[in-house]
Amino acid sequence: MKRIINCTFIFFMALILLTAGCGKSSAQQGATTTDNNKFDSIIKNAKGTTVNFYAWGGDERINKWVDTVLAKKVKEDYDITLKRIPVDDIQTVISKLTDEKQADVQKGSIDLIWVNGENFYTAKKNNLLYGPFTQNLPNYLKYVDQNSDDVKYDFGTAVDGLESPYGKAEFVLINDAAVTPETPKNTQELLDFAKKYKGKVTYPAPPDFTGSAFLRNVIYDIVGYDKVKAAGTDKQKIKEAIQPALDYLKELKPYLWKEGKTYPASIGQLDNMFADGEAVLDISYDPNAVAGMISKGKIKDTARDFIFDKGMIGNTHFLAIPANAGNRDGALAVVNAVLSPEIQASKYNPANWGDLPVLDNAKLSSTEKELFDKIPLGKGVIPQATLLSKRLPELPADMVPLIEEIWQSEIPNK
Amino acid sequence: MTRKNNNFIMRAVVYVGYFMALFPLLVLIIWSFTGIWPWPQLLPETFSLRALDELFGGYSGAIKALISSGLISAVVALLSIVVSLPAARAIVLCDFLGRDLLKFIVLMPVIVPATAFAMGIDVLFMKIGLSDTVLGVILVHIILCLPYTVRIMTEVTEATGDKLEVQARVLGASPLKVFTNITLPIALPGIISSVCMAFIVSFSQYFITLLIGGGTVVTYAMFMFPYIQSGDRTIASAYSVLFLLSTLIVFVFLDRTVKKYYDIGDVFYFN
Amino acid sequence: MSYSRFKPYLMILPVVLVMAIFIIGLINGVLQSFGIIPAAGLTKLTLSYYQEVLNNGDLTASLWLSVYISLATSVIAVVIGVLVSVAATTSGLVKSKFFQILKIPVIVPHTVSALLMLNLFSQSGIVARMAYRMHLIRGQEGFISIMFDKNSIGIILAYLWKEIPFVIMIVVTIMANINSSFGEAAVNLGASKGKVFKHITLPLCLPSITTSFIIIFAYSFGAYEIPYLLGATDPKALPVQAYVEFVYPDIAHRPFAMVLNSLMIIFTVAIAYIYYKILSKNLVKSGMSND
Repeated sequence: MKRIINCTFIFFMALILLTAGCGKSSAQQGATTTDNNKFDSIIKNAKGTTVNFYAWGGDERINKWVDTVLAKKVKEDYDITLKRIPVDDIQTVISKLTDEKQADVQKGSIDLIWVNGENFYTAKKNNLLYGPFTQNLPNYLKYVDQNSDDVKYDFGTAVDGLESPYGKAEFVLINDAAVTPETPKNTQELLDFAKKYKGKVTYPAPPDFTGSAFLRNVIYDIVGYDKVKAAGTDKQKIKEAIQPALDYLKELKPYLWKEGKTYPASIGQLDNMFADGEAVLDISYDPNAVAGMISKGKIKDTARDFIFDKGMIGNTHFLAIPANAGNRDGALAVVNAVLSPEIQASKYNPANWGDLPVLDNAKLSSTEKELFDKIPLGKGVIPQATLLSKRLPELPADMVPLIEEIWQSEIPNK
Repeated sequence: MTRKNNNFIMRAVVYVGYFMALFPLLVLIIWSFTGIWPWPQLLPETFSLRALDELFGGYSGAIKALISSGLISAVVALLSIVVSLPAARAIVLCDFLGRDLLKFIVLMPVIVPATAFAMGIDVLFMKIGLSDTVLGVILVHIILCLPYTVRIMTEVTEATGDKLEVQARVLGASPLKVFTNITLPIALPGIISSVCMAFIVSFSQYFITLLIGGGTVVTYAMFMFPYIQSGDRTIASAYSVLFLLSTLIVFVFLDRTVKKYYDIGDVFYFN
Repeated sequence: MSYSRFKPYLMILPVVLVMAIFIIGLINGVLQSFGIIPAAGLTKLTLSYYQEVLNNGDLTASLWLSVYISLATSVIAVVIGVLVSVAATTSGLVKSKFFQILKIPVIVPHTVSALLMLNLFSQSGIVARMAYRMHLIRGQEGFISIMFDKNSIGIILAYLWKEIPFVIMIVVTIMANINSSFGEAAVNLGASKGKVFKHITLPLCLPSITTSFIIIFAYSFGAYEIPYLLGATDPKALPVQAYVEFVYPDIAHRPFAMVLNSLMIIFTVAIAYIYYKILSKNLVKSGMSND
């Protein structure tokens, strides 16, 4: 008796599920074109489809810009529905792609990913990406400086057309002029700064992405980019090369928050400590972050960026398409839209996001240049020209985890 | 005199408990509307509605995700009960080979770290075509709920036994009548609590839903967690408050509906 | 018995099927610890990852930290949870509408609990600010540091805020039911309230208490979110270490994460198994097992 009731129940449940399942998986598959030389056929295939875009979802302004501005453009231009799927760490997506490769999934649900650095390195190494595809995008050919190292290399790994530039980042330091009038120009001045504001300076522990950048920037300032890069992927050689920087960080320790014995686990934590006044120094990969936080009302408007004289690390972040993307053509169309001047200018506007553009100024017409010129500088932000003049390249992606491991074993708690 | 003092202490303990439970939540609600809240203020210096804008602005899809997640978790909860109730009765009332082993294995999804079996299940589901489907996500959630639902149903069955059913059968009732008029009502408080527990477990899942469901199944937790991870307290708090409110609404709804149909005083077994 | 027609095996079939999927997934995951990740080109079974991890001195520190955290959490949660349940039952407050308030923390996800504790107890947190207002401390540094420190007090607090209500939720109703049915009967027959509690109520609640203890111990041992957010940089709790290895950019590093996961599984399963064996022995002895 109970069996019958159970069976009927399950039967109805199954019915509901099947119909629900039907609704959700439709309209997502776009045809994959084998002939990707004609952008027109790409657009034709992409028309009316949905593109699943996997991107970090921890900043509501970025999310809003993607959901409103970018989504609107691809809808108007190509009749594509952009579906943004928020993730807290793109690494999980790379894991899923790896699993899909292992299970031989031909058509996955991941169409487009926002990626760079170590994650791109892993994806490329394991053949998870579609491409090279950038040569097939009209806007790429028209507006991007294909010879620039910023576009050709991602953390020292050759891009080889497997990802398309999305925006640029540059590492900056942040403090509040009303609380700390100084802006240290190098690591020595930073040490004095930490001594003066004892217990209120710290940085996120690597392998946090931004904390790791701080570590590398300190290394650049003390040892220099070329010397470190020369050490290659030999952990012992790297340690020898960066030893002066390690000594500096050890010297810095006693003046830090919690005497440098422990560090905030993430950049989010440091941002909060800075907003609360528990820390007087903040860091960011986004020069416009300070303007963003001011406009969100998270910090006071006397906050501002500052950089070292010897330069700060800069990198590019990209969009990539998985090899088994279900809607490859749709993704290609979206990437093309991202490279248009209106979108890059809108993205650069601090009222939206403030992310640095990736287009070549020399390739823009005068009306297009105007789009960028009239963008106001964010509050507390250093002008783009200054930032670009002090830009240093990233180390190769496979060196980064080694440096992080060395820090982990040398610095905290010792 | 001592009894009165004792009673006072007891009541005080419970009231302290209320405070400990509520105070952090109050702080959470305040954070949802906070702009800047610097040291050493006891209340925020500026207020902000940006969290409400993000949640209800219509462009982020958060509310849509909230509703679909609620539905998914409801189905998960119901199916978990359907699967757990017979198993619990068998474990308590019958003797069969591997009974102790089953009691133990069913606890494993709680014991084992999520990453350990998530990757394995992901590949398995891909091979059988359940990856990126609602059904796959529901199945995985059920796995995660079973430790709680089977244990709760087992304890309910242990406490109530089957004597009433036996008596009813002796008096001539058919098995169906026994089930609907005795088994189900007695087990109902336990069922409701299991449903609630399963709903919470499913609604809070993040990593495994992202892995197995991916783009096809976007849950509310997937929107919420990146904000918690990025440390944006205002938005994270607002999402959490909405999360809590939705869960509470579901529970209250369950409470009312069951009371209407079954005229039971204490619907929640753990009342 | 009326259920002799229903073979119990049929009744447990759905659960068994579902758990079978789980076990298969688990085995697949554990295989990765032996170096089998076809997608990254690793196909040879090997014990080298286990060797490397076990030789690493940091492992013991992480293990002890995790044991400490989960033991402290589960013991304190059970003790306080039972105490509050007793207080609620004997004072009658368990019947009050407001009693549901105590269960709300169960609904809150663990990561949010971590956020809440940070809000309250960090050196710039609410409690510190109150202390400052009351002139108990002179600045942020004056407030004792309980977050991110080696004693993991912040981590334990974050777990306790959720787990104590969990214990209460599981234990209190049985306690109340027993108290009102058996308890009253015993008191009518002349037993004192204390004796009733010690010899009737507590033993009958023991299965629930055990269940909650095991669940809390195992979960807090293997969960990474709270120690990740609130823990010191070094040593990292085991699950945090596993997570760090797991998100290591190079997929070829995955086996290390799986080795740590496997070790954690073995540990918690062993503890849970031993506990069950002891418990069933005790229950049989006192004649209360359901055999």
